[in-house]
Amino acid sequence: MKLGLTVAFLGTLLGFIMAYTQARVEFRGKKILHIINLVPIISPPFAFATAIIVLFGRSGMITRGIFDWRPTLYGFPGLVLVLTLSFFPIAYMNLLGMLRSLDPALDEAGSSLGANKWRVFRTVTLPLLIPGFAGSFLLLFIESIADLANPLIIGGSYTVLASRAYMAINGDYDISLAAGYSTLLLLPALLVFLIQRYWAQKKSVVSVTGKPSGRPTMVTSLPAKVFLLTVTGLLTFLILLVYLTVVFGAFVQIIGVNNVFTLDHFRYLLGGFANGAIKTTAFLALIATPLAGIFGMLIAWLVIRKVKRGGEALDFLGMLGIAVPGTVIGIGYAITYNDPVKIGDLTVFPQVAGGGAMLGGAIAIVMVYIIRSSPAGQRSGIAMLQQIDPAIEEASASLGAAGGKTFRLITLPLISGAFLSGLMYAFAHSMTTLSPIIFLVTPDTSILTQKILAEADQGRYGNVFALCCILIVLIMIIGGLINLLVKRTQVSIDRPMVTGR
Amino acid sequence: MAKTTGNLRLEKLTKEFGNGAEKVVAVRELSLTINPGEFVTLLGPSGCGKTTALRMIAGFETPTAGKVLLDGDDVSSLTPDKRPMGMVFQSYALFPHMTVFDNVAYGLQVQKLSSSEIKKAVAEVLDSMSLSHLANRAPNQLSGGQQQRVALARAMVVRPKVLLFDEPLSNLDAKLRAQMRVEIRGIQRRLGITSIFVTHDQDEAMSLSDRIVVMRNAVVEQVGSPDEIYRRPASVFVADFIGRSNFLTVESAAKSKAGQAKIVVSGKKMDVAAQSKALASKKPVLLVRPESITVAASKSQGKSVGKGEGRVTNVVFYGNHVEYTLDTHEGVIISVVSDPVYDEIVPVGKIAKYSFDPSRAWLLPSESSEAMKEDRS
Repeated sequence: MKLGLTVAFLGTLLGFIMAYTQARVEFRGKKILHIINLVPIISPPFAFATAIIVLFGRSGMITRGIFDWRPTLYGFPGLVLVLTLSFFPIAYMNLLGMLRSLDPALDEAGSSLGANKWRVFRTVTLPLLIPGFAGSFLLLFIESIADLANPLIIGGSYTVLASRAYMAINGDYDISLAAGYSTLLLLPALLVFLIQRYWAQKKSVVSVTGKPSGRPTMVTSLPAKVFLLTVTGLLTFLILLVYLTVVFGAFVQIIGVNNVFTLDHFRYLLGGFANGAIKTTAFLALIATPLAGIFGMLIAWLVIRKVKRGGEALDFLGMLGIAVPGTVIGIGYAITYNDPVKIGDLTVFPQVAGGGAMLGGAIAIVMVYIIRSSPAGQRSGIAMLQQIDPAIEEASASLGAAGGKTFRLITLPLISGAFLSGLMYAFAHSMTTLSPIIFLVTPDTSILTQKILAEADQGRYGNVFALCCILIVLIMIIGGLINLLVKRTQVSIDRPMVTGR
Repeated sequence: MAKTTGNLRLEKLTKEFGNGAEKVVAVRELSLTINPGEFVTLLGPSGCGKTTALRMIAGFETPTAGKVLLDGDDVSSLTPDKRPMGMVFQSYALFPHMTVFDNVAYGLQVQKLSSSEIKKAVAEVLDSMSLSHLANRAPNQLSGGQQQRVALARAMVVRPKVLLFDEPLSNLDAKLRAQMRVEIRGIQRRLGITSIFVTHDQDEAMSLSDRIVVMRNAVVEQVGSPDEIYRRPASVFVADFIGRSNFLTVESAAKSKAGQAKIVVSGKKMDVAAQSKALASKKPVLLVRPESITVAASKSQGKSVGKGEGRVTNVVFYGNHVEYTLDTHEGVIISVVSDPVYDEIVPVGKIAKYSFDPSRAWLLPSESSEAMKEDRS
């Protein structure tokens, strides 16, 4: 709890500062900064935790190497640092979107009534962003209490619910204890999810017109600019440093101790240790990606266009995949599908999880990938469909095109952007997810993220970094391919134009 | 050009939304026959049910009860794509991912015409609307008026039996709107396509229509030609909605000839034309349009306002006309005097005599104040 609150507070604050800088300060390199700030979202777990240990830990390259200072990073402070760094981009994206859609005329109205910039910021901008703050805060809260990977690495003796559940299964083999921890995790997460949805609905009352009538007023006061740019710069530098460490660490013997160039880690990993895992992970993720994408679009389309009543409920069901902490989903699957589902003697659903399951449990893993990553596509699909004037589809119908034809010729091309970005997210997320998967892997299906955990546990950071590099490269390659597809098929439409005017 | 197809009949068309206590009747028993080639406007304040009516005709809403008959065939159960009707939307609803040409060609492609036929038909319609040079543009590269034309071309090219317009001009500026009105009417006359036009703008309705259907709170208040609606409105509501009106208090009213009444207004006896239910009403009111009332300075500028007089509370000089607001015993009266003699304009604060030709007046039954309140909200 304390962890969740601290991380949520710091992450939202950082996210806001970054978003505000991005939206309201003029400076060079804005775009690059934006991309760097988003990278942590798709980065593999452990990358942060391990890199931070190497940089700032007891024998960290910076803490000890430069300042000869040996702080204890394990436990609460380290965890807060790592979680904040990994999750602030969620708040950043959220708040940046809101800041950009605020009608600049509101600020202008404020200043024309005689308020100075600081006052406008305090009395107009901030209050309008409250739903965004609340939403981000709650999301970060869920993410941080449910995170498993980082507490395992850097938590030290500070245990969180997720890591206790993991220990219960992998140490004590006590499934019911794990289920108990899961329930404890599930309750606040669901509660927060519900509150957040409530907020999101209220948000529409706020005058986010989406049609800015002028240019937003930029920050011109020098101290404010210096402050914003300093924080932003430091944070960005830290992120870069982490990734440099990851890459550097992958190519040297032992980072910080023996910085001699080597390909040993890669040789070891690709020579057998992780070869199978790389193939399996990529293969399963590639199966899950299109399914998740289609699933998300389908739900979005049903919610927005087809189901008049119950659309809310359907949307909610679809979003559960992301609202429920990964640990809970993993344990849930492990318990539910460890035995075939039978009605009488008839097997309705075969055993898909655990040892001896069909295809070595691969089916359960793919299922988890799908339900974990389809909500993102669902969200962007819904957002996209909501922007498309229903009259466009009606126009097609009145010109003689039946339902299926309209969907194929009009609706699908218009939401292709959302579809493909959904695919991209699905792949990246499937490749990097750990917490639900760790309960489902079997000797036949080893997954990259789980290999990383094993290596991190052993303190073989070189291997961890090399694996992270492999993951990142894989994601970039596949992401690049999907992006190419996006570019080729995506309709060049400005967002406001989707109304068909 | 007389056309024989495109006869549209609505029979007791009704649409209810929601159910139980939250049930809202959007359209109640709308019956109407529209002749081939006729231009009919559904006019009314927002929420009166006009758009719902149009969407039922197009097939986007399923009627709760009643029928839509096209040339004698019941089309009520057909989906929109099966109905030979074209629609022009308020937002134009151009397909943003297609060029102007592809937008217009879409309906023909759906009909599976050969590409040479499509090219010919599209080129023709684009030419007739002076859009040929824009054929390869994307919709978002067009101005509002151009988008409007493309939307019209797209709906027309499939030769629908009925053209439906859902407030298509409301997103244009005033000048362009007037220009598009003329254009739409010209094309519609030339092609003789039966057209139904939904609007809340009385100028649009007056300038476009053969007949106007005035709707209010889900029911039809009056159907008639523009001059009937203006000169002989069926109710105070219609009179108030179309143009500007003065409603004078009537002191007494009695029947005279058919369709006429003997009345006393501000102490004067006169014979006026009367709506059929006017005399049955407890307190009929006399409609006199502002342009029918003349104003002249009163000789007695005493303190009290006599009968047939009013104190001038506002004068606006527009150049080609003067608009007076008078405070009288019969209520506030607005008078528009055209081609005014500048020296004879009565200034604010003075007492003015007003008069009107009884043949320009129209006796109406009074409206319950509750009904009026409902419209305001």
